[in-house]
Amino acid sequence: MSAKTPADEIRDALGDLLPRLRRFARVITRNVADADDLVQVTVEKALARAAQWRPGSRLDSWMFGIMKNAWVDEVRARRRRERVLAPEEAGATVGDRSAAARDIALSVQAAVARLPEDQRIAIALVLLEGLPYKEAAETLGIPIGTLTSRLARGRAMLQAILGNGGSA
Amino acid sequence: MKFSDEMLMAYADGELDLVARAEIEAAMAVDPALARAVERHRAMAAKLRKAFEPILDEPLPPALAALAGDEEAVQAVELAAARERRIGFGRWQLPAWTAIAASVLIGLFVGVLLTRGGGSPYEETPEGLVARGELADGLEYGLASLPARSNVKIGVTFRHRDGRPCRSFTFRHGTAVAGLACRGRADWKLELLADAPAEDGDLRAAASMPAPVARLVDTVIEGEPFDAQAESAAVASGWRIAPNVAE
Repeated sequence: MSAKTPADEIRDALGDLLPRLRRFARVITRNVADADDLVQVTVEKALARAAQWRPGSRLDSWMFGIMKNAWVDEVRARRRRERVLAPEEAGATVGDRSAAARDIALSVQAAVARLPEDQRIAIALVLLEGLPYKEAAETLGIPIGTLTSRLARGRAMLQAILGNGGSA
Repeated sequence: MKFSDEMLMAYADGELDLVARAEIEAAMAVDPALARAVERHRAMAAKLRKAFEPILDEPLPPALAALAGDEEAVQAVELAAARERRIGFGRWQLPAWTAIAASVLIGLFVGVLLTRGGGSPYEETPEGLVARGELADGLEYGLASLPARSNVKIGVTFRHRDGRPCRSFTFRHGTAVAGLACRGRADWKLELLADAPAEDGDLRAAASMPAPVARLVDTVIEGEPFDAQAESAAVASGWRIAPNVAE
């Protein structure tokens, strides 16, 4: 058998996709350690259900969708754990980047981090990952009008945080 | 003509069709404020891209780099990572891995527990290992909110993806064990048994749910755990809760 399986195709594409998955994960989780764990889980899930991916359709948005759902599950599981686990376990902390670097990039990242999750995700998919509105809405399973209003609200809020000047 | 901010945003993002685009461009030509609004959207998009661009060039950590490699590397990394993962990341596991771990653990414990003899709280049935005696009673009637008078302490109660109600528990039987049991038609089937960390020689059960149990719960749970009210209702009904209410 020489035909490539969907899992093979996904693996082949990973080299190019991983940096983008990391970037998207960073926006979602707002945290380096969580982001890399999330990327790992996303890839594992994608490979495990490779058969569900339609070759020819966009692999990136399919994986972004898996990632977003994995994060929703994780957040839910954490809330549950806070209820059922002892304090020393629930308190597993995650690495916080040193606050030393204070360049513009960081202040923009910090501004994005202050947005509600829905808006962060919409902005990351459209403005960072370059998905067309329609594709982004399908990835998130929401109507296109919902997507554009999240985008618009997120941008308005960023504008307010970062100031109206074109340059920071 | 008046354009909404969403419309200007869509224009800046290149999402408008030809006609709408032409309308906006005509309006922009005579209205500098409009042109500035569009420019603001473009500038914001560019600023965001620039701020997140450096992430793309960061070197991948080894675990992720291996993912781009062959399957063997992926599996090796998964196993290593599974061992090292922090407790806070119970969810970050492959269900398959959890299932393997579960069956191994059950195998280990059954061997030990079945040999204890005399009123064993476990029985091997064609359906698998089920709870008997004190453990079965605790699972059937215990409430997480009530202080345990028995040796069985209930942790979380929830619905399995397959519809069965399940409960995590800690059971003091010689040494303390923790586990997960799901209710079949009549019996509590043990899905997982694991060592419970002893705390002050006392059972603080749910609080010390071991990682493998927490992980399995995360993997099989449907929705949220039962609250106190749903839990007592389930106990009161003799666990006759409709498997799939929302069809």
